[in-house]
Order: sequence, then C-alpha cells, then structure tokens
Amino acid sequence: MRRILVANRGEVALRIIRACRELSIETVAIYSEADRTALHTTQADEAVCVGPAPAEQSYLHMQNILAAALICGADGVHPGYGFLSENALFAEMCAAHGLVFIGPSSQHLELLGDKARAKAVMEEAGVPVIPGSGVISSRTDLVETAAELGYPVLLKARSGGGGKGMRLAQDRTELLRVFDTARAEARASFQDDAVYLEKCLLGARHIEVQLLADNYGNVVHVGERECSLQHRYQKLLEECPAPQISAELRARLGAAALQGARAVNYRGAGTMEFLVDPAGNFYFVEMNPRLQVEHPVTELVYGVDLVKEQIRLAAGEPLRYSQAMLSPRGHAIECRINAEAVAPGSRPIPGVVEKLIVPGGPGVRWDSHIYQGYSVPPFYDALLGKLIAWGEDRQEALRCMERALQELVIEGVQTSLAFHRAVLRDERFRAGSYSTDFVRQWLAESEIVG
Amino acid sequence: MDFEQIKALIQLVDSSGITEFELEGGDLRLRIRKASTPAQPPAAVPPGAQLEPVAAPMVGTFYRSPAPDAPPFVQEGDAVSPGQVLCVIEAMKMMNEIEAELSGVVRQILVADGQPVEYGQVLMLIERRA
Repeated sequence: MRRILVANRGEVALRIIRACRELSIETVAIYSEADRTALHTTQADEAVCVGPAPAEQSYLHMQNILAAALICGADGVHPGYGFLSENALFAEMCAAHGLVFIGPSSQHLELLGDKARAKAVMEEAGVPVIPGSGVISSRTDLVETAAELGYPVLLKARSGGGGKGMRLAQDRTELLRVFDTARAEARASFQDDAVYLEKCLLGARHIEVQLLADNYGNVVHVGERECSLQHRYQKLLEECPAPQISAELRARLGAAALQGARAVNYRGAGTMEFLVDPAGNFYFVEMNPRLQVEHPVTELVYGVDLVKEQIRLAAGEPLRYSQAMLSPRGHAIECRINAEAVAPGSRPIPGVVEKLIVPGGPGVRWDSHIYQGYSVPPFYDALLGKLIAWGEDRQEALRCMERALQELVIEGVQTSLAFHRAVLRDERFRAGSYSTDFVRQWLAESEIVG
Repeated sequence: MDFEQIKALIQLVDSSGITEFELEGGDLRLRIRKASTPAQPPAAVPPGAQLEPVAAPMVGTFYRSPAPDAPPFVQEGDAVSPGQVLCVIEAMKMMNEIEAELSGVVRQILVADGQPVEYGQVLMLIERRA
C-alpha cells in the first residue's frame, strides 16, 4: 500500500497518519468545513474537503469520500473507529472500486453488525453468550421475554454501538416506559429500530480481548483490557491487563476469543467483548470489527503497534506474531479526557481551548488532536484526548497516571479531568476490584464533580 | 550552447508570437514553452457588480463540457438563467450536472477542465442580473 485515505477525524485520524508516516505510506485526509484547521487536515500529505459540518454530509458521506480516494489515487481506506468503520456497504463500495478497506470484509461487518445474529453464531461455536432474546416484535413479547429472563434487563439496539439505544429497566413499568425512546434513539442513530433484550448481570465487569487475524487463517489474541469504568455506557478509563483476574480466567477468556474469531473466519484487528460476573463466569456481548479507542493500553503492554499491524494485515501480509511471541510486560492505564464534566445530567459544551499544557516524561503517552486555540466543534464526539500511562506494575502505572493528570492543563472548555483525578484517588478503584456499576454508585455517593 | 545563448533564445521566443520552440542537434535537445496565457482576458466586470460564487456541491472531477469533443456548457461572458447547466462534476462514474441558481452573466471560470474539486470549492463567479 502506498497511499491511504483516512476516513475519520480527531485523534484517531492523527494516530493513523502517524502509523502511515512510519511505514512510508502517504496519507490523504478528509475534512468537513468545521475541521478546516484541524490537525488531521494539516498533518496529512493531502486533504480534501468532503462536506459541511454535520457528519451525515461529510464524514459519513460515502460518495464524496470514495470520490476523494479515487481522485487522490489512494489504494487503501482506513475508517478508524466510529463513522463508517462498521458500515458493510462502505466496505463493499471500497472493494468495488479497487480500494483496500482496512478492516474485515463487508460480510463480516454485516454479520457482526447484527448483534443478535452475532450472538447466535458465537453460541453455536461454543462461546458462552449472555442470556437474551431475539428481536422484540411487540409490547406483549417485550414483557413476556423480560419476565422469562428476570429483571433487571437491558434493552439494546440490534444495530447498536456506543451505548446508543440502550436502556436499563429494573421492572415491567420502567421497561414499558423506555421501550419507545430506546427504539426512537436506535432509529435515529442506526436507521434500524429493532431492539432486543439481554439479562442485566449485576456487579459484572466489562473485559474485552484484542485479536489480530490474517487472511490465511492465523489468529492471535493480544491480551485483555478492563473497560468497566463507564458512564452511560461510555468508557472513561481502561486498563491492560485487567486487574484482579486469575491466570486461569485470563487464559479461558483468550481461548474463547480465539474460538469466536475462528468461528467467523475473522480478518484484521478486532475485539471480543465479554461480561464477567463476580463468580468468574463470562459471556460474549459483541465483537467490534475495528480499531478500538482504547487500543493504546494493549500497545504499551504488548509492544505491538496495532494500527501498523492492521495496515499490514489488510495489505495481505501474513501475521508476524505467534501466540507464544505475545507476552505482557507491565501495566497501562488510559484516561479518556472528554469535553464534558462527569456528573449526572452533564452534556458536552463546545468552546475554545485557551490554555493547554501536555504531560510528558517516562511512561506517558498523549494521543490527541487538540492544541492551544483549538475550537471544539459541537458536531462530533466529545473526546479531547487520551492520556495513557505505563508502569512496571499496576501500582507504578497508577502513580504515573496520577502525576500525568496533575501535569495536564486544559482551560477554556469543560473537561472530565476532575473526575479522572478523583477516581485515581478512590480506594476501590486502586484496589482494582470495580465493576460496570462503579461510576453510577460513585456519582451517587460523591458530591457533583465539576 | 552556453547559458547566455539559451537566455537570448528564451528572450527571443518570449517577444515573438511563438508559443513553443524546439531545437535538436547533436546531443542537444532544447524545448522552450511559454507559460499558458488565458485564451481570452477575463470579461470586464462593471464596478459595483454583484458576483455570486458557484460552489462544488460534491467531491469529483470538474468538466466544462458534456463530452471531450463537445463545446463547453458556458463561456466567460455568457448570460445564464436558473436551471441552465454550467458544468458537470464526475463522481464515482456519475455525471452530476451543476445548474445555475440565478440569472446573470458568467464572469469567471476558476477551475480548468478535468481538474479535481473538493466540496465547497468555488467553480465560477456569476454576476447577478435582475
């Protein structure tokens, strides 16, 4: 591959441009009118404006993006995460125009994008799945299925992702109340209002396994990530490896992830998400057929550049790693710094970054597209940057992250920094035993963190 | 041939009506081509005229005519009315006709035939006429 069009914006577009530059691959950025002065626009070798600010007319506009790729002579398209990264039609259109889509095939995206079908395939392959239903056909079906599963239940969108169209219901009344809003949200976000039910596991942890697979049937896992620290189903902090899990459970998770990837003949980089209950039982939730936001923690601990590997695999190179070559060293933590305070009812507020001081020193990595004077556009997600810290063990990684969070200054916009600093001081978090309920409980206990 | 001679030749070609000059002899091959000048000077814009930009509504390749051997849709100085085709933008093998949205006179065509254009790029300037 000689020239890659980066079909994304923000920190992930920069991440891909950096990988390409190190691989001596030229880059073509796309940008919306709101991102004319964005770093990805100015850092790429070439940049093409593909539409006005709203994502549907720019970063999701397949025709303009493909036209830009063809006109600029790109031979590959990297979709990053979000936007078109899981769009089967886009992957197919790329292939039809002789462009390498850096991800799995459109068939994979279609299968894994249908969360209910993906679960059925995994179950058939012997991977434990969360008890749940097929697509809900009516309110009667909804209530009857929920009673069978037992409350609390989780209502999820078939084509969902990023927590959209997802609702928790403690009882029948609440379930009936959230049914319509969840469907409306799913329709608005994914043009598909089909929803299904899942049993809600109390005290469960969200642990995912990173996978790499080539086009020749070779697949390895690159360890797990702990992603339980979430607010409204949005991850705020991730760790690698997951703290407080036994070597035996870790091995079983890795084996199940490989089993799942083989069952769908997976290609490229992907992630199997599991929920792990307090007894150590785990269940497949979904497979993300793309690069994950939190990939840097794995990179630091395993010494693998996941973006470069993705590009190599998409170019048809065989996997460069065997399972035995992949062993973890140390511990890494990532804080997602958002333009939003973590508090009940908080919303991202656009603004201008008036002052920015970026942390550095041993073990610190800052993946971000912001700069002093950067105006946070209201059209896209609220991620300002990812602060990642590495240490020889979890204790050292925690200390490193604490001091990096102290060094980081972002003024002019609201941020989640106060929340992250407070979580790093929390005893339960430091002990490493926290579940997906942590942030909700923590917010209920503490005063509003601004 | 030395530097001074080449310089003299360039000046000679420059002051003449020749647009391209080629000289070959022995192991020397020299070609002098004049920088292309617009075929016609931009149509005069009366002072106080209101120029409206025509922006590309999509990413693609700009064409001034419907086919390589066909005459252009419009020339500088042409009067246009709403709905009249000004140019096409080819995107994904689809020819998208770009129409005038107002009545006026084409004052300037800013993109050369066959050039790629990005979203929002100004293609032409049209002087609005009531």
